Amino acid sequence: MGSGETFKERNFLSEAEEVEKVIDELRGNLKIQFMDELAKVNTNVLETYEKDNIKEPLLNLIKEKELKSFSIWESEYLKEINLKQQLKDLGLKLITAKNKNRISKADIGITEVDYAIADTGTLVLLTNKNQPRSVSLLPPIHLAIVKPQNLVRNISDLFIILKSKLQDTEDITSCMTFITGPSRTADIELNLTLGVHGPKELYVLIL
Amino acid sequence: MRFEEVRFEKDSEKAIHNKPLQKALVNVTDRFRSARNKASSEVSNWEELRSEAREIKKNTIENLDKYLIMLEENVKKAGGKVHWAKDASEASQIIVKIANDRNVKSVVKSKSMATEEIELNSSFEDAGISVVETDLGEYIIQLAGEHPSHIIAPAIHKTKEDISKLFSEKLGIPHYDKPEELTKVAREGLRSEFLNADMGVSGANFAVAETGTIVIVENEGNARLTTTVPKIHVALVGIEKLIPKYEDLSLFLTVLARSATGQKSSTYVSFITGPKRASDVDGPEEFHLVLLDNGRSGILASEETRESLYCIRCGACLNNCPVYRHVGGHSYGWAYSGPIGAIITPQLMGIDKAPELPFASSLCGACHDVCPVKIDFPKVLLELRKNVVESKKFHIKNTKDLIEKLGIKFWRFTVEYESIYKLTNKLSYYLQLPWKRSNGKLNSLPYPFSRWTDQRDFPAIAKKTFRERWKEIKHQTG
Repeated sequence: MGSGETFKERNFLSEAEEVEKVIDELRGNLKIQFMDELAKVNTNVLETYEKDNIKEPLLNLIKEKELKSFSIWESEYLKEINLKQQLKDLGLKLITAKNKNRISKADIGITEVDYAIADTGTLVLLTNKNQPRSVSLLPPIHLAIVKPQNLVRNISDLFIILKSKLQDTEDITSCMTFITGPSRTADIELNLTLGVHGPKELYVLIL
Repeated sequence: MRFEEVRFEKDSEKAIHNKPLQKALVNVTDRFRSARNKASSEVSNWEELRSEAREIKKNTIENLDKYLIMLEENVKKAGGKVHWAKDASEASQIIVKIANDRNVKSVVKSKSMATEEIELNSSFEDAGISVVETDLGEYIIQLAGEHPSHIIAPAIHKTKEDISKLFSEKLGIPHYDKPEELTKVAREGLRSEFLNADMGVSGANFAVAETGTIVIVENEGNARLTTTVPKIHVALVGIEKLIPKYEDLSLFLTVLARSATGQKSSTYVSFITGPKRASDVDGPEEFHLVLLDNGRSGILASEETRESLYCIRCGACLNNCPVYRHVGGHSYGWAYSGPIGAIITPQLMGIDKAPELPFASSLCGACHDVCPVKIDFPKVLLELRKNVVESKKFHIKNTKDLIEKLGIKFWRFTVEYESIYKLTNKLSYYLQLPWKRSNGKLNSLPYPFSRWTDQRDFPAIAKKTFRERWKEIKHQTG
């Protein structure tokens, strides 16, 4: 991919290595900064738990919001922790992303993130066969699970890493999405109103 | 609803006397202005970012031919189709044809100034295709049969009472007073439109040449729905929206969100490259990119005004413009308002269609100061004024033109000779006396000077000229 010489001007592979090294040293601070920024954009941060203990905050959320159905990514990490089966065991109905009318009626959509930008509180989601776009879009509540290794400092780090991967694998996703807080509008007399089109509530569970 | 001619003087007169509009304008521009000032001051190298953004845009526009071909190649490589539209009617025809060929009955749209510019909704309606605006502000405007009045907040001229009444009349629902209730009504109605639509039409904030990616920035999520749910996605993009490299986005997204609404990041940014891949579960099966010229290559050809094409449509120039803040968006008569409207409308429509617009500015330069790509508005406005005057040289259409011309001639005559200049100064002092008020102001002069005093007072001419006083002061102080 990429025509012409523009891809060759900078060595993004080595730049990305440098960036990742710096981020590694900052990991703990980045997490605190990220949580602060999330709070500023009306995002609910669920307390951090070890992956074996992911059930507890989820159970609370299910009870509080009276969730009955869910849609979920088939991504690697979510499979590894077997979240789909855990939720089914709790009596929630699974709705696949294939049918737009049905997923529009799911109570919650659960995703991971590919990256998380600490200084803006932004979640970065890449579309692929296991990661449909609708899960973070059509249900009224979106829950995103963030691992510390997803964090980058800022948008400029992110594009260096993305670009290094493009050079590497020669593939680009059909849709990358940045999510910073729940859907919002100020179109009526500048009153901030949440949930006009996308999810009304956004939860982030940081491991 | 179609745009008519630009009648700035007449429409701005109306706007100035519209009390609720005046209140709304102060409200929106103050809010956006202080949010932008705060957000930009948080970035330590803000001025460097602006310079860098301008450099990238300058390079892009000067090499647009090369980058457009690169964009086309990469969109095709990702499985998308590319269409070229030389003007508004060709763009509408292309998009309506895409719809007709696929038996499309209903279209959902996300906010796009380019589709306003080509009046796409009218073309869909003429073809018997239903089209629904899904941005909440645009939805309100569409129900009311009006045009947007602000690039970022299109329905800002409407109060919540107006909207409550409008929803009740058009949607047959009870009166709701709260913005939350009205928003909920819109969400439910529009969600079913999304699920039933055959095609989604969007604009784009940026198009990245080296990857074939279009980027859409929004807060509501309606652009995500428009580009995800229907089977066909059509994006109409002005050829000036290009940026060369993927990583350039980190700079442009930073300056756009902060300049527009004062957010660090907009709620949603979608980076779309082609249609859904075969293995993807959802997303549109077809992706069409319609590249719109409609006068842009004409601007590109003019070295003096070319920088008008650097604009990334953040709206900061509107919020900071003392003229926009009083006359609102509708006075500018077309899709684009404020300082950016004043420079691109005459260039895109033809200077003869909007000759008043380059004069709708005090040349204070507040727009230049906040522009994230540092467009030199005063310079471009002066150039356009020159073009207007030159085009009118041999066509004096009315007494207003004639009086203005004679006035300038007379002024030129007086300032060319010192003695005549001194004499006219003295003479005007005595001539003004019958109109001079006790507060030292002139507030109702006869025509043609009434054109000034109808709007505001004029300070009376002093008995002693500056030069006389200067001599005295010098004499006193030695």
